[in-house]
Amino acid sequence: MKTEMIQTHLREAISEVMETMFFLPVQFLDGRRSIQEWFSGEDKVMEAFIDFEGPRSGRVFLLVPDPTVNEMAANFLGLDEDEVSEEHAQDTLKETINMMTGRMLSIADRKARCALRIPRFAGEWNSADPEKGKSSGVLLLFETGKHHLAAGVVEPGI
Amino acid sequence: MAFNVLIVDDSSAMRAVVKKAIKLSGFDVGEYWEAADGKEALDKLRIHWVDVVLTDINMPQLNGMELVAKMKEDGLLRSVPVIMVSTEGSESKVAESIRLGASGYIKKPFHPEDIKVTLGRVMGVKDENRDDSNTLEGSDF
Repeated sequence: MKTEMIQTHLREAISEVMETMFFLPVQFLDGRRSIQEWFSGEDKVMEAFIDFEGPRSGRVFLLVPDPTVNEMAANFLGLDEDEVSEEHAQDTLKETINMMTGRMLSIADRKARCALRIPRFAGEWNSADPEKGKSSGVLLLFETGKHHLAAGVVEPGI
Repeated sequence: MAFNVLIVDDSSAMRAVVKKAIKLSGFDVGEYWEAADGKEALDKLRIHWVDVVLTDINMPQLNGMELVAKMKEDGLLRSVPVIMVSTEGSESKVAESIRLGASGYIKKPFHPEDIKVTLGRVMGVKDENRDDSNTLEGSDF
């Protein structure tokens, strides 16, 4: 599958998950911008990732500013934002990347036999991470209106 | 008549969301039990009366597929209906779940209505305004 196809499927999965589960429509950035530049206005960005294996293997990551994680968790769980615990927030972020990746793989190939691994919360994103700085594979930058987010796929061979 | 539900997911957030969706559906639920993986679910099933299980697939220790298989091997548990609630919505996963004995399949992301429709069907509660677009059952294969 070509990089453009993966990008299209991930984009569709992100929109569906963000709107259906979190009531947060997103807008994607057209054109190139570095991930560091995209997050330059955000204080604290959290990261979650999930690995998938099978005919295709790789890792999908999601970067979300702390206030947006709180907003997502509150919408997801039907809580006020000040009721959201750290566990709620981390769980929400892990479930989000799980749903996005599962949906992306389902769209990519209805007969896919790729297996998802357990999603992981990676803590605060390190903006100096050379892996994502190079935007290897697929990188999507998007926003909720208030904050900037990013997701990408790091896959050997793309 | 009230029924008891076991929700199995390694994400406490997702367990809460599924529980909320069931509550919003208006079903008469007696007890809600929760488990973080298939192994804990089997432990709960052996000490509590459970009428229906909603389980994720991708979990540590014992995953959702393995849970269904174990339940179907157990004379006391094989008749308890299981609904898969999973991101893994490929045809092969759905077909495998149904082959193992799952009674329904809900793909994440889902609308609360998907839970209502599938749970209602599995528990024999009719809903005249059903929309099955995100839910699958054995007869679909």
